[in-house]
Amino acid sequence: MIVMEQYLTQYIDPYYVRIAVLLGINIVLALGLNLITGVTGQLSMGHAGFMSIGAYTAAIMSIHAGTSFGISLLGGALMAAAFGFLIGVPTLRLEGDYLAMVTIGFAEIVRVVFLNLDIAGRAIGLSGIPSETGFLNVWLVAVLVIFLNTRLLKSRTGRALYAIREDEIAAQASGINTTFYKIFAFVIGSFLGGLAGGFYAHYMTYINPQDFGFMKSIELLNMVVLGGMGSIPGTILGSVVLTLAPEMLRMVAEYRLLFYGGLLVLMMIFRPNGLLGDVRWYDIRKRLARNGVKSYGTA
Amino acid sequence: MFWQQLINGLTLGSTYALIALGYTMVYGIIQLINFAHGEIYMFGAFAGLFLVTRFGVNVFVAMLGAMIFCMLLGMLVERIAYRPLRGRSSRLSALISAIGVSIFLSTLMVLIRGPQTDRYPDTIEISSFSLGPVQVSSLQVIILLVAALLMLGLQVFIHKTKMGKAMRACSEDLDASSLMGVNVNRVISFTFALGSALAAAGGVMVGLYYNAVWPYMGLMAGLKAFAAAVLGGIGSIPGAMLGGLCSGVLEIFGVAYLASSYRDAIAFGILIVVLLVRPQGILGKPISKKV
Amino acid sequence: MKLLRHRRIVALLTMLTMLVRLAAGCGGAKTTSGDKTGGTESGDVVKLGFLGALTGSVANYGIPGKKGMEMAIDELNAAGGILGKKVVGIYEDNKGESSEVANITQKYISRDKVNAIVGDPCTGLTKVAAEICQKNNVVIFSAGATGTGVVEYGDCVFRNTLLDKFAVPAVVDWMINTKGWKKFAVVTSLNNGYSTALTPVFKEAIKAKNGSIVIEESVNDGDTDFSAQITKIKQAKPDVLVFTGYYNEAALMQREAQKQGLDIVLVGGDGLYGQDLCKLGGKAVEERVIFYCGFSSDQPSPETAKFIKDYRARYDEDPDMFSAQYYDAVMILAKAMTDAKSTDPAVFKKELAKVKDYPGVSGNTTFRPDREPIKSPICLITIKNGKFALLEKIPVKVE
Repeated sequence: MIVMEQYLTQYIDPYYVRIAVLLGINIVLALGLNLITGVTGQLSMGHAGFMSIGAYTAAIMSIHAGTSFGISLLGGALMAAAFGFLIGVPTLRLEGDYLAMVTIGFAEIVRVVFLNLDIAGRAIGLSGIPSETGFLNVWLVAVLVIFLNTRLLKSRTGRALYAIREDEIAAQASGINTTFYKIFAFVIGSFLGGLAGGFYAHYMTYINPQDFGFMKSIELLNMVVLGGMGSIPGTILGSVVLTLAPEMLRMVAEYRLLFYGGLLVLMMIFRPNGLLGDVRWYDIRKRLARNGVKSYGTA
Repeated sequence: MFWQQLINGLTLGSTYALIALGYTMVYGIIQLINFAHGEIYMFGAFAGLFLVTRFGVNVFVAMLGAMIFCMLLGMLVERIAYRPLRGRSSRLSALISAIGVSIFLSTLMVLIRGPQTDRYPDTIEISSFSLGPVQVSSLQVIILLVAALLMLGLQVFIHKTKMGKAMRACSEDLDASSLMGVNVNRVISFTFALGSALAAAGGVMVGLYYNAVWPYMGLMAGLKAFAAAVLGGIGSIPGAMLGGLCSGVLEIFGVAYLASSYRDAIAFGILIVVLLVRPQGILGKPISKKV
Repeated sequence: MKLLRHRRIVALLTMLTMLVRLAAGCGGAKTTSGDKTGGTESGDVVKLGFLGALTGSVANYGIPGKKGMEMAIDELNAAGGILGKKVVGIYEDNKGESSEVANITQKYISRDKVNAIVGDPCTGLTKVAAEICQKNNVVIFSAGATGTGVVEYGDCVFRNTLLDKFAVPAVVDWMINTKGWKKFAVVTSLNNGYSTALTPVFKEAIKAKNGSIVIEESVNDGDTDFSAQITKIKQAKPDVLVFTGYYNEAALMQREAQKQGLDIVLVGGDGLYGQDLCKLGGKAVEERVIFYCGFSSDQPSPETAKFIKDYRARYDEDPDMFSAQYYDAVMILAKAMTDAKSTDPAVFKKELAKVKDYPGVSGNTTFRPDREPIKSPICLITIKNGKFALLEKIPVKVE
């Protein structure tokens, strides 16, 4: 793997490789959030909180316990999932914007706690994290996550999650255990957030609580909504656009954020349901098939 | 120390309340978290500063000017970024649009004048006097008075005027009001104007009291004011006032009696606990689900 | 209708690929096609990459830094450049975010093929960049990172700052023995890495000199309300208030103290050195703030005096610590390249490590064998009539 990694960076500009790695991390993050907000309809505005829990747990494990990369990643993801469960429980009582507020509050509390923890390096940040993340392992995981996510949403569970978003009461009346599925979405979503956080930490080799602030959560939410809520191809497209946009907008220098903000407004005006609102792989394949491309069976 | 901290908390809380009112009014009518509201507040603070430094006007005149400016800005933002989305997209798209506006406005201010902090000139002589064990500054009194006056005015407006009645009707049911002949677009536009004006007043007062205005002041203030609005029960106007004052006092008491290093964590922690006990906020109406 | 929707998706995908190509094309046009090893000789210009925030909440450290750097580069070019080569500065905005810093650093190294990188003003962000620079063997020269564990990244990493671990003991000694202040209130800015790193240094020094800390509080960068903390501090009755953060918060804290009738001197590090301290603080900071730093605009050395004059003429404002340190960083790099007769980082980094007693505008700089900078003497600065005024110069003892 390491040999392949070197081979890769020798023939492709490391700058592109770096952006591709960040894109892979963002896709995993956004797919996690998509499950919670896009699919199940639980507005979460604190996804960066889960990411930071994963990042810090994985980093601290690697530095202080000397665990291998895989174990650290898993530890970070599980820790984030545990907190996802904790936050998932109140969702049973809260709706819409009240839930959004709780998730914002949660992410802020996590940030302040890391600012106070000596082991996390406080505001100085945590440095000296082993550099483990590379293009191959990130994309291996990202592709796996995309695949599993697609399978999940096509399954009975996936349909149950969509049903909760569309009409919770109707879903309940149809015998769906909404309590279980809402917590399930939060746990899986935060697990993915934590996983991506671990990758991020081992890529940057330095993390700081300020990296996971409110604006980061908003950026992730933008990816999901911009691409199209609940759609996996949409979320991926949203991640691609919002990861590349800041890099491309570098040419407009200090006007960059101005364009970024304006772009968000314009995209919402012209594509109010996201670039690919609720489009599934299935729909894309169906369209392609209808236009004479070879069909992929029933799907 | 208790009374002194209470005064500190009420002063902070009244600024939160003024911003929270804008959030809650807009939310009450179109269920949109207007994320650009914090930036409107920031523009209000700078508009006031501009009037004071360039034209040397009295602070209260400047406040009025800032309120008018922000009214127009609020209506403009609504017209450009929210109205085209209304009725044909999910609420989340409108939310993202609001975030876009927020990023746009704060960057615009940085481009206009740079990122540094600016201060209000000392136009009002600060005098402090003792009330028993408590030191109260004249500025605190002014802020509490102005906030109370504005909130009272808002209450009267909403309950005694025709436009106020239309606003209340729209917040009950937008479609039904429209059928009853209420010009919904005008009411919404007006709501934005009113909320923005209050935010501008808040911005000028914060600038005056804490003496610092900077382009990114809107983000955290907006977040905390939003939290205050939710705490009070979003959509409820008395709730926003109460929520604002409560958040301010609780935040200050958190610093005073717990630990200043956990300031924001305490503020949000209390909010979460309150919401778990009372999911609709202190004065909010319980949400009844329709089947 | 169906056809239409199908077309839209295709159009979107096409647009996306075009955007990607556009990004690649634009960047590609700028870079000269050099060799793939990165950072070695890159033709007839010397490229310096700027790290710092031009937007975002830490932009007020990056913007003056950029001005200082631009000025230094223009002066070098007016004098014939470095080794006869024209100096080109490349300026990207990192918004103060780690991932941006990493992307930009990588871009500077692999696409722009810079000879050295100057920045970042923040310790944490410098570390992100240092990791990448060391791997690629490109010199990074931070103009502001004061925290620990920066030069430890390797022999390509340098910094040009006044190190607190050398300065603080001297300042604490001055407070206790010259001023007779024994009871300290210590305030930290919790979300500021500089402040969180400086507080333990102060606490250790206070303990070592037998002072007592009567109260410890924290604030956040960007806060405007300090009323609760000041009320608490007033109750604890300290002799002096040590604040380890930046100037904005210091000025606002002193204003709040004045409002509450608390008359106390605030002492801090060179993070307080910003013109905004006087502007924001007004009467409240008049002789009520003392801080240490490497240079004084009040009784400047000839180099500093010239720098201040030129800076004012060019930008119509006073330089601050960051503009001075970025300016110096560029000049020191130029000196090292000239001495080494090479613009190859692998070659001139050895000359850079040998810099001794360089009379920069931000103070005299010497690199120790471990590449840590030493600046001595340090100046204690206070504010008189709304202007920074030199209070005292105290020598720094290093083992």
